[in-house]
Amino acid sequence: MAVPFKNILVYIDGSEESISAMMYGILLAKQNGSKLQAMYVVNTKALSDLVKAGIFLDMEKNEYQRDLQKDAERYLKHAQKLAKNKEVVVSCITEEGSAHKIVRDYIKSNKIDLLVLGSVSAIRSRRDELNSETDRMVRTVPCPVMLVREDEELWEIFE
Amino acid sequence: MNLVEILDEKLIAVPLKGTTKDEILEELVNTLAEGKGLSKSGYTSVINAVKNRESLGSTGIGKGICIPHAQSDAIDKISLVVGVSRVPIDFDSPDNMKSKLFFLVVAPVSAASTHVEVLASIARSCSSSVFRRMLEQCKSSREVIQLFSE
Repeated sequence: MAVPFKNILVYIDGSEESISAMMYGILLAKQNGSKLQAMYVVNTKALSDLVKAGIFLDMEKNEYQRDLQKDAERYLKHAQKLAKNKEVVVSCITEEGSAHKIVRDYIKSNKIDLLVLGSVSAIRSRRDELNSETDRMVRTVPCPVMLVREDEELWEIFE
Repeated sequence: MNLVEILDEKLIAVPLKGTTKDEILEELVNTLAEGKGLSKSGYTSVINAVKNRESLGSTGIGKGICIPHAQSDAIDKISLVVGVSRVPIDFDSPDNMKSKLFFLVVAPVSAASTHVEVLASIARSCSSSVFRRMLEQCKSSREVIQLFSE
């Protein structure tokens, strides 16, 4: 384990919380001189599950997949803009599959020593606990995880 | 995003009054329009999107469940309407079973990720026969929210 962290990965899913995580990751990388990466996973596993369940038609799955790919481009571009603003270099990665598995495997094979996530949503029922992708990441990745809470000050720093 | 976060008492219709597929779709969209304060054109945009999707293939998925869904920029964030019918409705489901449980999911085009997440979450919740039975027995909006919160 390396401290301070040298190889930081931020997982972005398009939520405001994940953008906060990106901001925090940028500040942390700048402070520590760490290598910074941002990842968006197009959840093709969920799309396939929806087709299997009869909720999506194949055609619909393809449309949503294109929308999610556009989301990935948009949010990663935003991450790059935020990083550039603080003179930090960020490498952006788009993957497809089951988000928590992709992130776990990427961390293993790329020697990531810190995963930064937006805060996980409050557990409001037993079902939520079992289903959230970020919860699963927290439980399964082999490296330390930082959960970034909502913080107005953080957004002000990037304004 | 979890389902409890987007459930809203104003967006629950228990019991539904419609007796046909078209009536149910209109009632669900009407519940959404009233709950969200949509304009007439907003209502029209959503009902057209929902019916267009339905024309491509039934959103009845079997076991008495229907998940009509569509993308529409008439609403600003993802919305879920839950409807429970006392009368089984013919929704052209693949198992030919009539439906009592309805989940209308409408999201803006920019919310594809959340839309997928919410649909998957509904499918998971409804995979439990006990959950389906309990939802069918709910008599009020509050009981529906309580059930999802357990």
